[in-house]
Amino acid sequence: MKEQLKNNKTKMEVLHEISFTLNEKKVSCKIKASTVLLDLIRDFFELKGTKPGCNEGECGACTVLVNGAPVNSCLFLAVNANGKNITTIEGLTNSDGSLHPVQESLVQHGAVQCGFCTSGMAMSIKALMNQYENSQHVPGEIRSEFPTRDEIKKYLEGNLCRCTGYVKIVDAAEKLFAKED
Amino acid sequence: MNFEIINPSSTEELLGTIKSLQKEKFRFGAGCTDLLMELKKNPEENLTVINLSQVKDASFTGIKKTTNQFRLGALFTAHKIVINEELKINFPVLHQSALTLASTQIRQVATVGGNLCTASPSGDIACALVALEAQCEILGTTGKTRTVPVTDFFMGPRKTVLKSNEVLYSISVPVNNKLSKNILSGFIKVGTRRSMECSVVSIAYHIQTDEHGNIINAGVAIGASAPTIRFAKEACEFLIGKKLKHISHKEKEKFAEKVLSYAAPITDIRATAWYRKEVLFNISKSIFE
Repeated sequence: MKEQLKNNKTKMEVLHEISFTLNEKKVSCKIKASTVLLDLIRDFFELKGTKPGCNEGECGACTVLVNGAPVNSCLFLAVNANGKNITTIEGLTNSDGSLHPVQESLVQHGAVQCGFCTSGMAMSIKALMNQYENSQHVPGEIRSEFPTRDEIKKYLEGNLCRCTGYVKIVDAAEKLFAKED
Repeated sequence: MNFEIINPSSTEELLGTIKSLQKEKFRFGAGCTDLLMELKKNPEENLTVINLSQVKDASFTGIKKTTNQFRLGALFTAHKIVINEELKINFPVLHQSALTLASTQIRQVATVGGNLCTASPSGDIACALVALEAQCEILGTTGKTRTVPVTDFFMGPRKTVLKSNEVLYSISVPVNNKLSKNILSGFIKVGTRRSMECSVVSIAYHIQTDEHGNIINAGVAIGASAPTIRFAKEACEFLIGKKLKHISHKEKEKFAEKVLSYAAPITDIRATAWYRKEVLFNISKSIFE
């Protein structure tokens, strides 16, 4: 992509400079207007944990957190990342390299098969945790202290998995909230 | 996919941008979930996208309640509708339509204005807003606004009354404080899946009664059943004066027939016209059950 950016420049295309926080590090770069966040993360910052699945917002494999909320990075314009706080699966892992409780729970429940949906799934589960931790987010969709199984399923509706049949993924998420009690 | 982008951060900058692009090809992008899909499939040359998502003015992004209405800025997101308790209590139809829209991820960025301006016959939030007889506030480059009932906002699939020098500013939903407790309000969406689904057919209804249970106000809209979302006026009028809890089987059928008279569905990849009509008839009846 760095090559591509250079080529574009020679065509007199306007590049947009953006600065944002990526996994707790301040970064900045110059991008084309039409660059989507998914391509920026994978090709420019070379963080390959975020997966390109359908590229049309259906599958959720590319889910990342923008200011703590889950979005499909394939449909999110990179220019709109400017000034925001972006977290990818690489940022979920603890600084000492150990797994985040979400990842730990997915492993323990055998909720990973081919693994392609896993990073998106983990980010969505993390977003659901954020929603519970931040009481301002709570009303409406979610009412009780921790989500019911149905609420977890509803929250993960935008993440497709073609291997597990979802049962173990929802188990993993459910256990995560039960533990916090 | 290739385009230029302009990122106005205020209403003033936005109007200046629209003005300056009058002789060029431009599109608005808010949540961009529809726009990017469209441009990925059918790239347009020399296109400029006016990126609305960096406009910070609360008149565009926020919600304001006055004595007789809720005013939602065009950039108010589906997620914000879902988590708003007041909207949930006053307009269950709006809450439910927002909650069934696409997926958790899409709802974070998708806006109410986008759902209207994309003018899809199967728009979810749009269908609820038609049932609620909401008012669209449209802002022109001169800085003047005009108001159009949402029932007149759609001209056809992907076509609205917006002129090239205008932008949708807000949507206002009338609230009747006296009646808000006696409501039968909801959104039924039929599709092959429960998530990430474009409606095969949908119905939005918001029916209010007085303290005796007599229907005094009714709004019913149907989606994915005609070139635009339609307000089933005659079906609404048919309900006025009836006791909500004592609507007979015959009256339910009569109501459903009246709803159906507004449908002119097509046969496409999702369903046949015949199927859409059958389903619409049945879900119309089911409102009262």
